Order: sequence, then structure tokens, then C-alpha cells
Amino acid sequence: MIRRARTRRHRPEVNCREVGKVLQSYLDDDVEPGFADKIAKHLEACRDCGLEVETYRRIKASLAAKLPEVDTAAIDRLRAFGEQLTSGDE
Amino acid sequence: MSEPAVDELAQKAAFDRYVVPELEVLYRVARSITRNPTDAEDLVQDTMLRAYRAILRFDGRHPRAWLLTIMRNAQINRVRRKRPELLRDPDAAMERLADEDSQDLGPEALVVESEFDAAVEKAVGALPDKFREVVDLVDIQGLSYAEAAEIIGVPTGTIMSRLHRARTRIRKHLEASGAYVNGRPT
Ligand SMILES: [Zn+2]
Repeated sequence: MIRRARTRRHRPEVNCREVGKVLQSYLDDDVEPGFADKIAKHLEACRDCGLEVETYRRIKASLAAKLPEVDTAAIDRLRAFGEQLTSGDE
Repeated sequence: MSEPAVDELAQKAAFDRYVVPELEVLYRVARSITRNPTDAEDLVQDTMLRAYRAILRFDGRHPRAWLLTIMRNAQINRVRRKRPELLRDPDAAMERLADEDSQDLGPEALVVESEFDAAVEKAVGALPDKFREVVDLVDIQGLSYAEAAEIIGVPTGTIMSRLHRARTRIRKHLEASGAYVNGRPT
């Protein structure tokens, strides 16, 4: 994403507690880029947090895969309704 | 039909441009908030009607968010009209939840999932409505925080905090069910 294009600086590490607090925002790509780098480094180095983030990643992936098939007949009916609506016989 | 034809043409053009491409998303979101296919279709039609009437006043920015706001208002009216007790009645909400669980066991759901996915599914089913709604809209349907905020009618920060708490619950549920413990699948 766009956010990655900033400079990396060497900063003191974050600890597990801090990482835990922002883990989900981090996964949603919703933390500052500099901070995200620090988190990424921590995740590489810390087994516990690494596993934790992996769990949340799997949960997100599992949820994303649940998008149900949409009923195409219903969409067709809605399109037809739209046609009718815009053809003037409201 | 008292309006000049030129307005109707503009109305149709704007409708085709902003509303029609969003029909599938609208229907998915409607399914999610009504939990019922017939109600969902009605709700989208209602939304389309309102959008059509208002479309010449729409500035063309963020059509999805605009439509979701319309849908939210339409849904509020429907709920008030049809079942005013539901929003604040946890028992009714639980019943609805149970209904949906059984309704969801269509052919696709019967396909054997991995144990992890099954456990996630179960954990989502066990969430309170308020949390499950956000998980559904953002993590399953793929709406942005801002779009989910439009349809639910709360600030974006609320969406985020509900989502995070919901996922934390899912995670704890997984741990408790033994389906998945920290890095060790099943
Ligand atoms: Zn750590």
C-alpha cells in the first residue's frame, strides 16, 4: 500500500504488550508506517507475538473466504426493478 | 409525469452510473442486516427507489457510502414499522441468530470445511449480534470501516473497536474449542 513508501529509521523496539494492543490494527494496515516497521521487526524476533499475529491472520483469511454465493436471480430481479424505475413508470 | 423529460434522462443516467453497479454489494449488505432473502430484496428495492428520487441532488462522491446511508435509513423505517421491539430485545435477536444458523446450512455449507474454518464459523455464530454484524460487513463482505460505519450509523472508531473485540472473542473461542492453539493447527 501507499503507506510503505516512507523512510525507515532505527528506533527502540516495541515490547509484547504494545504489540498486542495494536496487532489487529497492524493487520488491517491501520498503523503508522514507522510503527508498522517496528512491529514487523518484533514479530520476526518474538515467537509468541509471531504466532499470535499468525492466528489473527488465519482468522481474517478464513472470514474473507466465507463470502457466500450471491443469489444471481435476486440481482437480476433488482436490475429489472431498476430498469422499470428509470423507464418512467414509478 | 410533470417533470421535463431531460430531468428523467439525467436521473436515469445517474442511476445507471451510481446505483446499478452497487446492486450486488447492496444486496449482500441487505442480506446481512435483514438476515432474510425476501426482506433483503425489499430493502434494496426501497433503497433504489429512495436513491432514484434523490439522485439529482447527489454529488457523485462515494456512491457506495451514500447508498449505504440511504439503506440504513430505509431499514430503520422498516424495523420501526414491522418489529419495533427487535432492536432492543436480546431474546428476539438470539432467535434470529438461531434462525439464521439453520437457514445457513444450505448445500454450500455442507461441504466439509477444514476444522479451523469450521471453528471460526462457530465462533462467529456465537458472537453477540452487534459484533457479528461488524465482522460480517468488514471481514466477510469486505466493506471498509467507513462504509460499515455508514450502514450501522456509528463512528468509524466504534466499528474498529467492535471488530477488534469480535476477533478477540473468535480467537478465544478457537482456543477454548481446541481447534487451534497458538500456531498449532488442530
Ligand atoms: Zn512479543
